[in-house]
Amino acid sequence: MIKTNFKFSGVRGLENAILLSIFLFLFNLIFPVHDVFVLALIHEGIVFFTIYFLYNYLHQSLVNKLDAPLSLVLNIGILGALLFFILSIANSAYEADINGKISFNFFNSLLSILLIFLFIASIVYIFTSFRELFFLRQKKDPSTYFNTMLVFFALSFFSNILLLIDPNLDYPHSAFYVVSIVLICLNSIRVAWIAFLTKKQKYYLLGLSIILSIVFGLAFSLLIDSKIVRQMIYTFSPGLHTVFSLVMIYGTIYFGVIFFITLFHLPTAEAFDRKAQEVASMMDITKLITQVFDFKELADTITTMTTQACNSDSAWLVTNTNNGIELNSVHKIGYVDANAVSNRLLGSGDASFEQIEVIDYDSLFGDKKFVEHHFHSVAVAPLTMHGKINGYLFTARTRGNSFDTEDRKSLQAFAYYAAVALENAMLIKESIEKERLEKELDVARDIQRKILPAVVPSTPQLAISALFVPAFEVGGDYYDFFELDEDNLGFVVADVSGKGISAAFIMAEVKGIFESLSKIVQKPSELLTKVNGVLKGNLQRRDFVTAVYGVINKKTGKMNFSRAGHTPSVLCREGKVERLQPPGIGLGLDFTNSFSNSLKEMEIQLKNNDIVVCYSDGIPEAKNSLGEDFGYEKFEQIISDNCGKNLDEISNLVMQDLSLFSKDHPQHDDITLVLFKWKQKQ
Amino acid sequence: MAEFNVNLRGVGSVSVIDVKGYLDAHTAPELENVFNRLLDQKQYQVVVNFDDLKYISSAGLGVFMAYVETMRENEGDIKFSNMKENVYNIFDLLGFPILYEFFKEENEAIKKFSGPEQS
Repeated sequence: MIKTNFKFSGVRGLENAILLSIFLFLFNLIFPVHDVFVLALIHEGIVFFTIYFLYNYLHQSLVNKLDAPLSLVLNIGILGALLFFILSIANSAYEADINGKISFNFFNSLLSILLIFLFIASIVYIFTSFRELFFLRQKKDPSTYFNTMLVFFALSFFSNILLLIDPNLDYPHSAFYVVSIVLICLNSIRVAWIAFLTKKQKYYLLGLSIILSIVFGLAFSLLIDSKIVRQMIYTFSPGLHTVFSLVMIYGTIYFGVIFFITLFHLPTAEAFDRKAQEVASMMDITKLITQVFDFKELADTITTMTTQACNSDSAWLVTNTNNGIELNSVHKIGYVDANAVSNRLLGSGDASFEQIEVIDYDSLFGDKKFVEHHFHSVAVAPLTMHGKINGYLFTARTRGNSFDTEDRKSLQAFAYYAAVALENAMLIKESIEKERLEKELDVARDIQRKILPAVVPSTPQLAISALFVPAFEVGGDYYDFFELDEDNLGFVVADVSGKGISAAFIMAEVKGIFESLSKIVQKPSELLTKVNGVLKGNLQRRDFVTAVYGVINKKTGKMNFSRAGHTPSVLCREGKVERLQPPGIGLGLDFTNSFSNSLKEMEIQLKNNDIVVCYSDGIPEAKNSLGEDFGYEKFEQIISDNCGKNLDEISNLVMQDLSLFSKDHPQHDDITLVLFKWKQKQ
Repeated sequence: MAEFNVNLRGVGSVSVIDVKGYLDAHTAPELENVFNRLLDQKQYQVVVNFDDLKYISSAGLGVFMAYVETMRENEGDIKFSNMKENVYNIFDLLGFPILYEFFKEENEAIKKFSGPEQS
């Protein structure tokens, strides 16, 4: 029943160990003395497996302590000291007693068994801790060495039994024991984890290890020398005594080794600390780069870390801009000084450092004290991205040695990170700017869409078709119709110079002006002159508006119009096209009399099936992939070829030809096409 | 995409600006920089040589409008020369020839500055 419960795994280690301990306890109560071979063998077996299961259990529970080797060492120390304490008490107490005469009464044997359990638990805990320390920070799997040692521990444990058969058979035990010690020595050398401790921890460990080495040494000597202790444990179980002594030897040797190795590590402890800190700050910075959008904030971190990593007194970071250099961050140096030094070194942006360089400050500037700080040497690293230098990271020392290779490497690394961060920040800025522009364009498109008329005021006699195709960058085209009175229809086709939101706003302004003036002024030339006058105060010098304004009498078909710098209109009569280009300069070009003087009016009496076309320069100036213009001729040809078709068909044909022509070229300007067709009353 | 080049040279007291390529909203600031420099140096007599200009947009035209007034107020002017027909047509359509002087050759424009203003 019980046997089936013993699974030789660590899973139920604790239960098995407790079960065996109870078994062991009962066994010892029944057989206080077990010098018969069979009894001794069974007893040893029970002791061994108690230790084995306890070891398995502790080994599992200690795994999560691996991050803090020092606390592990401290635990070992406390238990070691406890063991030593108990051993010494036991030693002195029994010696004070009746000089080695031990009576095996019930109380004594109970006490000794409890003590034995305490010993077992302690040494197993200590040994398991050794095991964890042994495996700590090992790159290759060293379990073979350790397991070999375990095997020899077990052999030493059981070889004691042989003495019961023949007292002369002690050499196997001695041999195993010696081999175990040799293996302990070999395994004690694996103390790589010491290197990863900080300087402070190393000092701590140094003190602790020498004390522990001595404590374990003394405990071992007590175990061997003190008759009473030896007798107590040995009579209980010779194997336990062996393991106990082996663990004590392990402790003595291991902590001795730790002491010396820590001692040798001390001189490099500081350098190691620095390197570790560098690695940590590099990791921080990598994290920062992806999180921080504000370059200045990151630059501050970089300069601070640079001074730490390079062990320098100051650091500052500059970026190249269009007009020279810009100071982004300073650490332990004033803005003015940093600026002065960088300007001295970089000249006025002409000089550049392609790679990291260390400058002997004194030899360069002599005793000239142009800044408050007097530096001994300055190191500068370029922030290079895609072969372009975007800035520099400086670091400077006021005294001491110049920068060595390690310092340069650190500086280079930080400069590289700064370059990446700078690139990131610029990309983010660009994308925000792009988004802003796109939003702006959306607003402009929205304005334009709302400004243009939703329906065309066609009549049975006057067919009207209007087509508008906005460019990606809103162009500023505008067309509109005004019902002036029962008979007269005013129309305007205009194009505002420039693009985007500014063009859209001018367009809105122009619409307002035309809308209000068209109700007051009938004559097209007069109206355009008035519009020009209103625009005088409202237009920037560089902006202008071209427009065609006309009035059609819906009853008679008489059309009157003027052109202010706009693309000429086209009249198609019986398959022949005629360019209607009355003189006139663009609105906003001139605010003197030259404008009104230049402006002429044109009057046309429309005949049946006459087509009048007004359009914006988006049509003739549409480009193909070779950069050639669509041109006026091609456009007029389409009109004349299709004169007989209805207006929507004609505008569709124009758009078809246009998109064919410029199929590989994005439309860069708005396209407006307004057509009128006159049907004479029969 | 569109390439634009601007070059400034002095012929006597007249500044000649050579424009080359495509002058549009994106490249106009380059030309503006040149004009700003001229204003800084108080150079008001300007001839723009269009010999190598392939295209001009409304934003390009706006540059001349922005500066011509200042030039004229200081007894200078902006005159145009060596314009290709397609470029001239754009100026013509807008009515520029009424407001600006156009010359076939750069020399004539320069001469116009240095010559006595009889007309």
